Amino acid sequence: MKSRDQEYREMFMAEALEYYDAMSRHLSELERNPQDTPALNELFRLMHNLKANARAMGFVDMGEVAHKMETLFGQIRGQERTFTGSLVPLTFGAVDMLGNMIRAVGAGQETGDAHVLLDNLERLIQGQEPEQAAPGQTTEEADADASRKLELSDLVYIPVKKLDNLLNLVGELVIDRDRILTLAAELGNAALQTTAQHLFRISDDLQYSVMDVRLVGAGVLLNKFPRVVRDVAAAENKQVELTLAGQDVQIDRNVLQLITDALLHVVRNGVSHGLEDAATRVAAGKPAVGQLRISALTERDDVLIQVQDDGRGINTEAVRQKAVRKGVVTAEAAAALDEQGVWMLLFEPGFSMAEKITDISGRGVGLDVVKLAIDSLGGQLRVNSELGKGTTFTLVLPTSIAVKGALLVELDTRAYAVPLLHTDTVLSLTNDEVFAVGGLLMTRVQEENVPLVSLRHLLYSEGNEPLPRATRADLPAGDGRQQVLVVGYNNRRLGLVVDRFLRQQNIVVKPLSKPLDTIDLFGGVTLLGSGQLCLVLDVPALTRLFLAKRP
Amino acid sequence: MNKRILIVDDSFYMRTMLKNMLTDAGYDVVGEAANGQQALEMAVATTPDLITLDVILPDNTGLDVLKGIRAQQPDAKVVMCSAVGQETIVNEAIENGALAYIVKPFSEERVLEIVGGALDGDGPRA
Amino acid sequence: MPDTSAAASASRRAAPEAVVQLIVFCLGDEDYGIRIEQVKEVTVTPEVVRMPKTPPFIKGIANLRGDIIAIVDLEERFQLRPAGRPVPEFSYTLAVEAADYTLGLMVREVPRPVTLPVSLIEAAPEFVQDSGQREKYLEGIAKLPDNEGVIIVLDMAKLLTPSEIMRLPGRVEPAAAAPEAPTPPEKP
Repeated sequence: MKSRDQEYREMFMAEALEYYDAMSRHLSELERNPQDTPALNELFRLMHNLKANARAMGFVDMGEVAHKMETLFGQIRGQERTFTGSLVPLTFGAVDMLGNMIRAVGAGQETGDAHVLLDNLERLIQGQEPEQAAPGQTTEEADADASRKLELSDLVYIPVKKLDNLLNLVGELVIDRDRILTLAAELGNAALQTTAQHLFRISDDLQYSVMDVRLVGAGVLLNKFPRVVRDVAAAENKQVELTLAGQDVQIDRNVLQLITDALLHVVRNGVSHGLEDAATRVAAGKPAVGQLRISALTERDDVLIQVQDDGRGINTEAVRQKAVRKGVVTAEAAAALDEQGVWMLLFEPGFSMAEKITDISGRGVGLDVVKLAIDSLGGQLRVNSELGKGTTFTLVLPTSIAVKGALLVELDTRAYAVPLLHTDTVLSLTNDEVFAVGGLLMTRVQEENVPLVSLRHLLYSEGNEPLPRATRADLPAGDGRQQVLVVGYNNRRLGLVVDRFLRQQNIVVKPLSKPLDTIDLFGGVTLLGSGQLCLVLDVPALTRLFLAKRP
Repeated sequence: MNKRILIVDDSFYMRTMLKNMLTDAGYDVVGEAANGQQALEMAVATTPDLITLDVILPDNTGLDVLKGIRAQQPDAKVVMCSAVGQETIVNEAIENGALAYIVKPFSEERVLEIVGGALDGDGPRA
Repeated sequence: MPDTSAAASASRRAAPEAVVQLIVFCLGDEDYGIRIEQVKEVTVTPEVVRMPKTPPFIKGIANLRGDIIAIVDLEERFQLRPAGRPVPEFSYTLAVEAADYTLGLMVREVPRPVTLPVSLIEAAPEFVQDSGQREKYLEGIAKLPDNEGVIIVLDMAKLLTPSEIMRLPGRVEPAAAAPEAPTPPEKP
């Protein structure tokens, strides 16, 4: 952990070097065009800042040189003097001196004697000529000037795209590393195995370091919400006090980017549907001003973003009835759902709680976009609500989206990866455990009927026709068993019949590139240790496909 | 609820130092702006209880920003920040409704005293 | 001086005609060409993984130096493969570059570079324009000197838009079934 002083020092250095570069640049511009007002304003501002910062750090001489330069540029700006004559070389010399001082501070050295320069600057300010004869530049100094090293800041700004590229490369390195580990184990060469182990550790560190670089504070996103909440509250005629917390929680910048719209929806929803207007609140014995809290926190490897209101809470029965009315679920299915299950219906496509379309959160766009965004990241959505007390929506997000746990299954000698997030359980079923209902084969999993579908049929059946009706006659002959991977999405379980289970492993998911990125059944592709390409199944899309095609 | 403060300064170093001082003292720093444009936008977006405003900024002078903020929110509490040397601007800022003036380099006690005083509403001080 | 005459004849040869370099390959029984600047590389087709829910002429995806690219069989796409001729077991792939992605074109024989004067490329004549699928993607037809046949020059920029690539000859099939297409998120 760095001390605060050390942090200040690094910040000061980075900024001072930036200022120095800019000063040199603007000074040259001013030399070419002494009427260049923007350059003059910038020089004035940079000197002013350097002065303030240097003094705060206790670098008296540096502050003093900057102060006198600020005064000089102030005089030029105020048209008390022009950028001509002896002033020109002296200001160049002074900027060089500042550069030397900054570098000396960076190197932990003394900043050198500035009194001659300061005297001369003071003379100029007073309208006198600098002392020419006084220790003018020696040849040595002139040489030193000519061979001056270029100093670069210790902090760099990196476009996110470059980081993505770096992370992709590391991802590939990790894949090759796994291949080398496999090979080393096969060859049984002890030296090779030791080296491979070492490579394993280094690339692991590398992967985490690169991921670490992309982490930013959640505040980057959260701090945009005061304005949003204010606008929605104004449009809805509600009084809302917003609290933010956890702005320092670290999260992958790309994850933040992907959930921006989703979070916007949840927050708007909280203000327009969660919180009541002042009169309703007062009537219910609550303070007139509604509380909305957006906070980020860390939970194991995940980052949680919570949106909490102290509003009316979710009326579970109203949601249940509306879902049936809107055809989101059948009446029977709805009746069987517990509270949590009903709340998740809010995120189904076609469900929009508000009967009244408001300006802000209406427009027919429901919370389903939230679910889609979270799904695309391999995250989760949690809802907690108490009638009359309020509602909390929790977005469970991966800190980084680079590595995912997955279960590999085999179908027609090909491996497919299923993200662990959506896998529920694996079963090896005998025919006795399977029964047919309404053209579907089913099995019992923890007191629940789970439909079975052949992954092969789901992936390879052509067209939009429903799947053929299944009967027990389709079961394997003899005492063969069916390998079933039970996946879950939105409280809906589905048993995928596969050829066999391979193994569980961490995968780096690469997105599919054009033109195949429109095939939503696949969340991407990954390279296995063998170098083999492996498609990553998207369970939400598979579930939707099954629902659309079931007989 | 903690008092909410918006910091306007074009130096990252200055902002961080000020932010640390204020956060340690229990204020919520609701935003940091590095130029006049950002300052005006964030003043609207965050409706802070107090704004600390640097007098020299890249796109506007601090004075223009002060006038802009006061035009939008006549009751906004603004405290000017500046190193010595720009007293003319600071005086003009006070005439335009700034409550106080913090001199850089500042000590923690001085900052907290001035910010606290400005928030208590006991008039201009320097 | 001999030097001068050599230089003079060199400059005579280089000066007059703008030339175009094509990568030429066989589809069906015809020669097709793509401008060399549109070709990223030519390689032996890597292992191709079949991708469900794609048209049959998309052979699948392959790993080309870490880039996962789609491999397209143009013979099938343009319906040029003579009946009964099987999909080759061993083939080459031309990696061609679109604006923001790379695509692999599978061809049966080693492609060859051909340099010819631009003037030899003529806009496609009427009868070819009428003859089917390819017409939309043609730049023109190059007649080789000495009756050495013709090269049909494809305009990759036209072919490489994702919607064109995915289009089935004849009908347009929607991409994988997504019954309840989600409403796009509203922009703040």
